[in-house]
Amino acid sequence: MKRLSIIVLAICLTAFSGSPLFAADTFDLAIPLPLTGKQAKFGEMMKRSYEIAAEEINAKGGIKKKKLHLSFEDSGAKPETARAIVEKLIDTKKQPIIVGEYTSACAKAVAAVAEERKTPYLIVASADDDITQKNYKYVFRQNPVNAHYSDAVIDFLAKVVKPKTMVILYESSAFGTSGAEAMAKDAAKAGIKVLLKEKYEAGSVDFKPLLSKVKATQADVVYMVSYVMDASLLMKQIKELRLEAKLFAGGAAGFAIPEFIDNAKDAAENVITATLWTSQLKYPGAKEYSEKYKAKYKDYPSYHGASAYSALYVVKDALERAKDWTQEGIRAALKASNTMTAFGPVKFEDKEGYQNQNFTDTFVLQVIKGEHETIWPEKYASKKYVYPVPTWRERR
Amino acid sequence: MTAPQVEVLLQTILSGLLLGGLYALIGIGMTLIMGVMKIINLAHGELMMVGMYIAYVLFSVFHIDPYLSIFIAAPALFLLGILLQKYLINPVLKVDAIIPENQVILTVGIGMVLSNIATIIFSSDYKTTPVDYATKAWYLSDIWKASPIELSLSLPWSVSFSFALMITGALWFFLTKTDMGKSIRATAQDKDAALLMGVNVERMRVVTFGLGSALVGSAGCLFIPIYYLYPDLGGQFTLTAFVITILGGLGSTVGAIVGGLILGVFESLTSTYAGMGWAPVGRFVIFLAALIFVPQGIMSLFTRKRFGK
Repeated sequence: MKRLSIIVLAICLTAFSGSPLFAADTFDLAIPLPLTGKQAKFGEMMKRSYEIAAEEINAKGGIKKKKLHLSFEDSGAKPETARAIVEKLIDTKKQPIIVGEYTSACAKAVAAVAEERKTPYLIVASADDDITQKNYKYVFRQNPVNAHYSDAVIDFLAKVVKPKTMVILYESSAFGTSGAEAMAKDAAKAGIKVLLKEKYEAGSVDFKPLLSKVKATQADVVYMVSYVMDASLLMKQIKELRLEAKLFAGGAAGFAIPEFIDNAKDAAENVITATLWTSQLKYPGAKEYSEKYKAKYKDYPSYHGASAYSALYVVKDALERAKDWTQEGIRAALKASNTMTAFGPVKFEDKEGYQNQNFTDTFVLQVIKGEHETIWPEKYASKKYVYPVPTWRERR
Repeated sequence: MTAPQVEVLLQTILSGLLLGGLYALIGIGMTLIMGVMKIINLAHGELMMVGMYIAYVLFSVFHIDPYLSIFIAAPALFLLGILLQKYLINPVLKVDAIIPENQVILTVGIGMVLSNIATIIFSSDYKTTPVDYATKAWYLSDIWKASPIELSLSLPWSVSFSFALMITGALWFFLTKTDMGKSIRATAQDKDAALLMGVNVERMRVVTFGLGSALVGSAGCLFIPIYYLYPDLGGQFTLTAFVITILGGLGSTVGAIVGGLILGVFESLTSTYAGMGWAPVGRFVIFLAALIFVPQGIMSLFTRKRFGK
């Protein structure tokens, strides 16, 4: 009996070790992203989107007749884990291109490794401005930078709300801080006075002390940069305190995903948020992708998913154009990218002090009757914006 | 002070008290276990997480209000605590080990196992119990029309606070008026003397651990309507409980209540006047100050006077 099991084991082992022989017609891509921990929500959405894209690509014959084979590595949103994963992928698995990660802190760590090992890295949803300002040659970013996240929001404020004063609240993370800095600069340019700019620790229980201070400033606009649960807690407690402002605005991330409305419920009504993408946009494939996602997972994806989905098409495009599938070959091809995706046009440019950065339009969403609607720029609008916003007292 | 400034101050103190009441309930379980068993239970926050998941499941499957689920979660946690104590901690307590405090390390391990089991069962998604009254509040200007300032008192926060008070009151009654409560206190004061007086020390330890778990489990049920839930949430509340335990004096239940309220108000005040990013700093300043100036805990200030030392 024992001998038999050893034989079986031996057969299994040879079968497995033999498999790379057949793997020659697949292209293996391991993607680091957070699947556990606080950012798991976003990681999961991106994983599903990568899978949808890979399925589509393989159904249409793969990349240069090679099947795209995905696997995922959980970084738990910890930079040191992300770093270790990518070192392994490059050094032992010899993967010629890295795609993925979510938080800015992790992307920074990965970018440093990729640059050091001369391996192209495509960032899909990490927004901290820094990452593409370091003269990295091998780091490409598909999503707009934090500094541009709020372009459309600022435009909306300037043309419709015309506020004089503003309060900025932000999470004390790389993403929160750079988002708040960018907004403060933009506000100064637009002649809006920032009365208070304060950070908080993610995961706080009670925002009321901070919010009552905000209330005393009587600012026209309250702008918040938060991840998901803080966003809904903030709005719930704002409603509780009857903190009145002409408009409540969020800087993408936590405010732009459906969970925000599910959790904050009526407190979310009429809140606007910056976003990089919506399923209502008329980019080729955007609608098909979001319907496919919705059919499978019951919710519409946010820009995180769309960017991840499109990233694989960008990789496919680059791999098809690349002279050879070496790190240098792929880098050159990525650099020359000029393609249209479900996420919008993708082209990596060196301008405004950024390197290999893609610049796309941003949009404003507003929660109208419990749904995210695109309201700005007006040519993309799916619904007319609601402004002025009723006070909390009127909403009862 | 102008009216808006007064408003900010009062609202801050109000929020701080409400938060402090809940903190006290979290801290009291840890301090109870500390008093009787002389170990810090570092799985405390994870036990709270278990209580919250029970409330979450009851809400999403059976539509039971999170507040009512206390009556299911608390006994369940009591049982869990008893099992943990009987089959994991007690055997370790008996063994002489190289590290003197190896039970503490054991509790860290228990915490890790609990949070990873939760990840496997519920995934690491955030969960909430979206109750209808989540953002209901009472406003001063609704009651007193001419009020120069506006204060708001959140309904779920106040309900949670009152429940915390009631549970604490019941615990006080249990500890001072019942035989078993007296035995627990005797064990906490002097284990050997209690043993000589015929108290079943072993059993008291088991009951205490169960009681501490039940307390923090019900704190979890009180927290879920105003907060949210994910498997790794334990650590931050273990830390809070630990600070309160030190602040109140190791093993002092009244001290834990006072400590919880002080911590809540102090955190709120730092959030308002120093900035919310400073709130964790405030927490540790209090922690250090307690260790340096009142190492026996706040309650020692009163008792010391009484004995005229």
